[in-house]
Amino acid sequence: MMNFFAPHLPLLDLIFVGTGYALSQAIVFRAGTFSVATSGFAAVGAYAAAILTVKHGFHPAAGVAVGTLLGLLCGLLLSVPLARLRGVYQAIASLAFVEIVVAFILFFEELTGGPLGFHNIPRAATTWTLFLAMLATMALLILLGKGGIGRAFDAIRQDPPVAASLGVNPTKYHVLSFALSGAIAGLFGGLDAMRNFSLTAEQFGFAILIGTLSAVVLGGRRSVMGPLVGTTILVLLPEIFRPLADYRQAIYGLLLVVVMAFLPFGVYDTIIMKLHNRRLARAGMLLPPKAAS
Amino acid sequence: MIAQQVLNGLVLGGVYALFALGFTLIFGIHRIMNMAHGAVFMSGAFIGLYTVRLGFPLWVALPVAMVGAGFVSILIEVVAFKPLRKLALADAELASIISSIGAGLIILSIGQYVSKTETMRFPFGTVPIDAVVVFGLRVTALQLLMLGVAIASVAVLALYLYRTPQGRQVRAVAGNYRAAQLLGVNPNAIFYQTFFVSGALAGAAGVMVGLAFNAIQFLMGEPFLLKAFVAIILGGLGSVPGALVGGLVLGLLQSLSVAYLPALLVDAVIFLLLFAILMVRPDGLFAQSTMESPTKRV
Repeated sequence: MMNFFAPHLPLLDLIFVGTGYALSQAIVFRAGTFSVATSGFAAVGAYAAAILTVKHGFHPAAGVAVGTLLGLLCGLLLSVPLARLRGVYQAIASLAFVEIVVAFILFFEELTGGPLGFHNIPRAATTWTLFLAMLATMALLILLGKGGIGRAFDAIRQDPPVAASLGVNPTKYHVLSFALSGAIAGLFGGLDAMRNFSLTAEQFGFAILIGTLSAVVLGGRRSVMGPLVGTTILVLLPEIFRPLADYRQAIYGLLLVVVMAFLPFGVYDTIIMKLHNRRLARAGMLLPPKAAS
Repeated sequence: MIAQQVLNGLVLGGVYALFALGFTLIFGIHRIMNMAHGAVFMSGAFIGLYTVRLGFPLWVALPVAMVGAGFVSILIEVVAFKPLRKLALADAELASIISSIGAGLIILSIGQYVSKTETMRFPFGTVPIDAVVVFGLRVTALQLLMLGVAIASVAVLALYLYRTPQGRQVRAVAGNYRAAQLLGVNPNAIFYQTFFVSGALAGAAGVMVGLAFNAIQFLMGEPFLLKAFVAIILGGLGSVPGALVGGLVLGLLQSLSVAYLPALLVDAVIFLLLFAILMVRPDGLFAQSTMESPTKRV
């Protein structure tokens, strides 16, 4: 069995790390925040882990842990100014944050290697490590999502004034979602560094931001499974249709346009919604279409 | 020295203003961000370049590029935005960003395929390399051309928006979509017009940037769009006069910081400024009461 998988292990790595990033992105969407800061948090986590491990002799696990903490810290810090903004303004501000992180990585050359990149990172994260990290993150998010925190996120996303009037403090959950997003992105950024041997600043720029956003939107941005489904599709599609691999960008673009037009809630979430509605219809309890969506 | 930098900055700022005007026009009317605007800009530069390569002079290539980019922009509206109009505004906000990123990626790959990933340049002598010296400042023919195109485009845009019946309809749709529709304005016609105008402005900016930096490649739009956000936000998202002023300020800022700061720090300064503006004055210099507030009211 392992022989069959062996040539495809790098693909699995990509799926696990990509899903981690996508989960970090999805959690802020679920809380009704339109931030795209994930790749900035990931860059902080990745460079922190790599620098501590290579230059200061930290154990890789300790390096990744510090990266996770720094990601969390960045999330907390960024949540304060972003709480004041809404919608597209949050998106632009978080985009600026990502570009600031990338610009600083390029500028502090002695520390980060600057435009040349940071190299000779030990490969400390195996495919199993990445898989377990992804599984643990998903389990944590499912647990949180089932309880009061998940309900509060849903309420704030759907109608902030109503949520506030029911005693849900939007700012508290906003900060919580950013802390989670930052920690998850920092963790997978650190793991990504331990997987990839080297880091470059461009790796965390606009391109990965689009990749992560695409995965979340394609899979579904309200469930925990959605990001996994989206990332898997985006990683495997060019591999399955080998001749299409040269047109990867065009395929991503086409997917985004088509999915937005026909499945605006993503592949996984739409299927779940349809199944749910059918079950309700069988039981004779179908909600009016508005409430169901 | 500083006067020369100010002049260079104003010229560059005129080009940023053209780009920002197109972006802000779409936001003002549709309340959506057209993330494919950078790709439209790139396609304008490509169309202009290939027209010149076919042997036409620049004064033919520029209008061709503007019209071509205008149609690319209309295509984006039809493919990426029209299907989303059935969604609620809160959902449409995210959906239209994603969808236009997708449309931008498609245009980008077409550009990559056409150019075979090469960096291309306008043939030598497309613009005369003469320069005049005014009050001790060196002004090249290219800079005069860039200023002229920027001023002419802004003047035509202002006439269109504020002095024609079509422009009045555009402003009506921007102010209140439902009311305009009830009064007999055909919103689709307005949408096509505004996307065309927005694309034409981006196309003109693309040709100008292609001439000024002599490097045309399929990825040229993305960094330009990200930087232009400073101009757009500074002026106020959706404000036409704001985009003009914001563009000029951004041009000045960029040319001064390139002259006096380490090269790798320029981007950091520009994006820190963008972040700071969003914190201090998210609705820009010219806040409009008709626009939706950028801050939360809860």
